[in-house]
Amino acid sequence: MISLLSIARHSAWNRRSTLVWVVVSLALATALLWTLERLRHDIRTSFAQSVSGVDLIVGARSSPVQLMLFSVFHIGSVPQSMSMDSVRALAQHRSVSWVVPLSLGDSHRGYPVLGTTTEYFQHFAYGDKQPLALQQGAVFAGNLDGLYEAVIGSEVARKMGYALGQSITLGHGMDDHGHGHSHGHNHSPASPASPSHDDKPFKVVGILAPTGTPVDRTVHVSLQALEALHLEWVAGAPLPGGQIPADQARKFNLEPQAVTAALVGLKTRAAVFNVQRFVNAFEAEALMGVMPGVALGELWAVLGLGENALLAVSALVALVSVVSLMAVVLAGLNERRRELAVLRAVGAGPRHVLGLLTLEGVWVTGSGVVLGVVLAQLGMALAAPWLQQGLGIRLQMSAPLPTQWALLAAVLLAGLLASLGPAWRAYRLSLADGLSPRV
Amino acid sequence: MIDIEPMRFAWTRGGPDTLVLGRLHVTQGQTVFLQGPSGCGKSSFLGLLAGVLQPQHGRVTLLGQDWAALPLGQRDAFRADHVGVIFQQFNLLPYLSVLDNVTLPCRFSKLRRERCQAAGGPEASAQTWLKRMGLPEGLWARRADTLSVGQQQRVAAARALIGQPELVLADEPTSALDAALRHDFMDVLMQAARDAGSTLVCVSHDPQQAARFDLQWSLPELQQTGARA
Repeated sequence: MISLLSIARHSAWNRRSTLVWVVVSLALATALLWTLERLRHDIRTSFAQSVSGVDLIVGARSSPVQLMLFSVFHIGSVPQSMSMDSVRALAQHRSVSWVVPLSLGDSHRGYPVLGTTTEYFQHFAYGDKQPLALQQGAVFAGNLDGLYEAVIGSEVARKMGYALGQSITLGHGMDDHGHGHSHGHNHSPASPASPSHDDKPFKVVGILAPTGTPVDRTVHVSLQALEALHLEWVAGAPLPGGQIPADQARKFNLEPQAVTAALVGLKTRAAVFNVQRFVNAFEAEALMGVMPGVALGELWAVLGLGENALLAVSALVALVSVVSLMAVVLAGLNERRRELAVLRAVGAGPRHVLGLLTLEGVWVTGSGVVLGVVLAQLGMALAAPWLQQGLGIRLQMSAPLPTQWALLAAVLLAGLLASLGPAWRAYRLSLADGLSPRV
Repeated sequence: MIDIEPMRFAWTRGGPDTLVLGRLHVTQGQTVFLQGPSGCGKSSFLGLLAGVLQPQHGRVTLLGQDWAALPLGQRDAFRADHVGVIFQQFNLLPYLSVLDNVTLPCRFSKLRRERCQAAGGPEASAQTWLKRMGLPEGLWARRADTLSVGQQQRVAAARALIGQPELVLADEPTSALDAALRHDFMDVLMQAARDAGSTLVCVSHDPQQAARFDLQWSLPELQQTGARA
């Protein structure tokens, strides 16, 4: 014997040619909400996972978010550098365990070049305090013999097809066309001649294991190497006539005078506010200390506005779909008065009619929701490599988030509520018509 | 089993009376032929018997139960239990199978479901009635709207009879059929109703059929009697 639910399903299937468009629009709305929520979560996770075990990021005083974005994610720029004297003073502080200076500004084929010390590989961590690991080779020597050595991230190696021993040249500026940049040397914007450092090629000596963070997209060299590259450079352009051969460069003083920022690890986390005060009140130059978590929080506060706007638009799309469900079912009711009369003739009461129409709405909404989730998952699976490569965001193909389920439930509930309207109308019609609809 | 006390019915409150009837009585198992031109209120009369319409004055009683005295929900349940209906046409839910259409009343009535137990449950009982109505077995699993009009009327009759309701109402059940088929269909329907012990009230404007019914009513005449009373 057939159940009411099954009757509703057959009835809806019988009118599939019109209902299919409602299902499609519900599916699109669901897919939008589902994907947006996943993206929102994964972007945050990607960012939050990118830096761990660093207590403070110190740089010239500007915006905390800007400093964090540039020093950890290599996005944007900072207007000022900080002097190495300040870095050394910071390292002297009794609560400070380690200080790793960072110098940014050059690039290789669009991948940022990070000048740092060998300690970077010991102290920098990602995810849940996971240290960086080498997949092949070793870190650069950090002395004059190994001056032109580079350690590349896993994505650089994979995308460019680099193996150990590969010779690479760096370009000046953050992309191959030499736009404005900021690293330890405080160059002004580069000349339009797209200057490069072809005369001093680097050798790949190490390839890092994948981390899913900006590290994968970075070329690491020593601070001294960056210094050597820029010996004959003034104001962001090479001095005319003054080419210093790669070997000759070793004879110069290659100790940098300034860097972009410094990562600081403390002996105890409890000292973080103390050290931050010390940094912020530093006398020799205007510095600031940024806690990565706090800066991320500020970033979310800004991004949250955009996210909420997107979510609101998606919710509107869902609302429109649900209203169209209501309109389509209402419009079809007149043609179904005969069907309702048959149901009443076999003993269905108005409450059954009410239930049937409501169930039908739930079927349609449910189909839309299921289709939407399938679409969204397919779409994300297809887009995941592109997002990872283009934006460094790793989409997690893991179990759906509670908030995603909540959005699904909201769509289903809206569908249920929207079908109550037509159901009520059908109820009234079936009462008025009796056994023979007057149409 | 049907008792009508003098009554008036109008579609709209305060509108013109559609039906004015005097006292009427039908005993269990009788067959009633109800005749009258189109628009004389035959459908309203059936609606009143089935309890989906209520008179403004007077009473319609089925099996001793005054329809108007029942709350709305119980009225539907009472109808599901005791009344089977056959329309002129479009009796079936087109998207369900023949068998699912026949068992529908058992879906809504526990009593009729229980009465099917002797036959082995609603499905088995549905098959028995479809066989009685002479519908070939090969059609039972087909979608209802793939059947001819004549076949659909047989399915509708099987559905009206399943679970042996005390009253079967038929609203011009043969008018959509070819003349050759009409007689045959009525034969089978009346015999089946007799076997089920059901009272059959059949509305028709085909006087040829009238002679084989226990009672022959002409609605216009009933109305005149009612108006005089």
